[in-house]
Amino acid sequence: MNPQALEIVWLSLKVAVACVAISLPPGVLCGWLLARSSFRGKVLLDGILHLPLVLPPVVTGYLLLMLLGQRGPVGMLLEQVGIQVAFDWKGAVLASAVVAFPLLLRSVRSSIENVDPRLESAARTLGAGRIRAFSTVTLRMALPGVFVGGLLSFARSLGEFGATITFVSNIPGQTRTLPLAIYTFINQPGGDRAALGLVLLSIALSLAALAASEVLTRRVRRG
Amino acid sequence: MADFLQVRAIKHLGPFTLDVDIRCPYLVTALFGPSGAGKSTLLGMVAGLMDPDEGEIVIGDRVVFSSARKIRVPPEARGIGCVFQDGLLFPHLSVLQNLHYGYDLLSPGDRRLDPEDVIDLLDLGPRLAHRPRQLSGGERQRVALGRALLRSPDLLTLDEPLAALDPGLKNRILPYLRSIRDTLGLPMLCVSHSVGDILQLTGQVVILSDGKCVTQGDFFDVAHHETVVPLLGDYGFENVLQVQVSSNDPDAGLTRVAYEDQVIKVPLCDRPVGDRLFIGIRANDIILSRTEPEGLSLRNALQGRVGEVRRAGAVSMVSVDVGKRLLVEVTPEAVVELGLKEGERVFCLVKTHSIRIGPSVAPDRT
Repeated sequence: MNPQALEIVWLSLKVAVACVAISLPPGVLCGWLLARSSFRGKVLLDGILHLPLVLPPVVTGYLLLMLLGQRGPVGMLLEQVGIQVAFDWKGAVLASAVVAFPLLLRSVRSSIENVDPRLESAARTLGAGRIRAFSTVTLRMALPGVFVGGLLSFARSLGEFGATITFVSNIPGQTRTLPLAIYTFINQPGGDRAALGLVLLSIALSLAALAASEVLTRRVRRG
Repeated sequence: MADFLQVRAIKHLGPFTLDVDIRCPYLVTALFGPSGAGKSTLLGMVAGLMDPDEGEIVIGDRVVFSSARKIRVPPEARGIGCVFQDGLLFPHLSVLQNLHYGYDLLSPGDRRLDPEDVIDLLDLGPRLAHRPRQLSGGERQRVALGRALLRSPDLLTLDEPLAALDPGLKNRILPYLRSIRDTLGLPMLCVSHSVGDILQLTGQVVILSDGKCVTQGDFFDVAHHETVVPLLGDYGFENVLQVQVSSNDPDAGLTRVAYEDQVIKVPLCDRPVGDRLFIGIRANDIILSRTEPEGLSLRNALQGRVGEVRRAGAVSMVSVDVGKRLLVEVTPEAVVELGLKEGERVFCLVKTHSIRIGPSVAPDRT
């Protein structure tokens, strides 16, 4: 593998892993909220969280740019504390996390819904506090669903194009992930070979992720 | 006597209102009532899984809920062992891990029971590595019981622990419950809809109907209550007697058992002589006679004196003192014709084959 391809794969993996890592905690929290609690505005929250699933990714990217870009309201706040996400690999992470979030959420939510809530009550009567009862019973039993959600999020991040290119552009070494690199090579005269190499790499990565998730899920099911 | 449990609570759930004031001074209290009476709501409030809108719950001498004093002890700190109707075992854990769930959360000083002892008591040794889905219904209930016991509770609540079990399994669980009562002295609140089952554990009942406590006390005192009679269902009221096998007679097809100082002939059962067991006789399977019968195929005539006679709906319930109390269901007309009054001598006639053989009194370790 040439150094350039290596850099692209490394960046893509870094972005995808970071995407899963930052999505999991809010994903589990929101999944639990939507599955187990009722509150005012639940339908609205559900709708907002699912929006990236139905919006064109370019629109999501543009909204992120307006919010978090250097002149966006949140972006200016972040800049004051020295964080810049636009046109940076962290921005690519954010873009794919937002786009992939509904996939993770749906999987986590339905796996939590499948756990009998009375099991958590049983754990409480046995002396477990709220958080322990949730983590040792509900979350533990929902783990296969959480893994599947994580895999979906990882895969979506590897494939993310529209939101990323709109939000953080196509900067080599910073935001040029696999799909953006393939797109770039295809548009270059004589870039077909390089593009094909990346396409094959992309397929291999996806298959590896699938296999890893399958192994993990089986291990969890066996306990 | 100090109460093991006091519940004074009002709870509105949609159109349903639970409004009860209950005291349980006896070690084991049975909670009866038709479905929808509020039994599970009551247990949920005692366990802390649901709060009364108003009221006070005291376990032993500890106030665990008081709306007036703004006390609300969370379920994990109430020290209650709950056995749920369908067990609610953790499916992702082994039997051993299920048993240890509550035990491991206790500080060592609070552990009053040894897991080994509970595993022995409930005969769970061979099943420890299994998952709940690999167990039979009776085994699952025993694990649920063990898990609740190992949490070292101050009170054990059981929600229809026998409902899901067939009669053979019931007869295997009941001895365990009795040995918990007798060897551990643990207060229990047990929801049941089967009178025959629960009387093998306790005679103290609280009767709920439509969110209200209709009556509470000794079952024989409340059995004639108009709200209690329908609860007995088609099966009717069953007297549960503790007897001892005195001889087996395979040729005659019967077993003789001693009850107080009388002999009862029951269907042949392969229990050893000296074995103590329960038998069940339904109140409407007993015929009353003023004279000792002759020339009848009936095998059993228990002598006794009439205690109370009470009208319960379309029938009369006569309690007869045959050493202990036996409830007999007769028509109100018979009460008049036989002149059944308190203190009168009567014979209770029972066909051998209408007697149900119950479980042994001592825990059955087969």
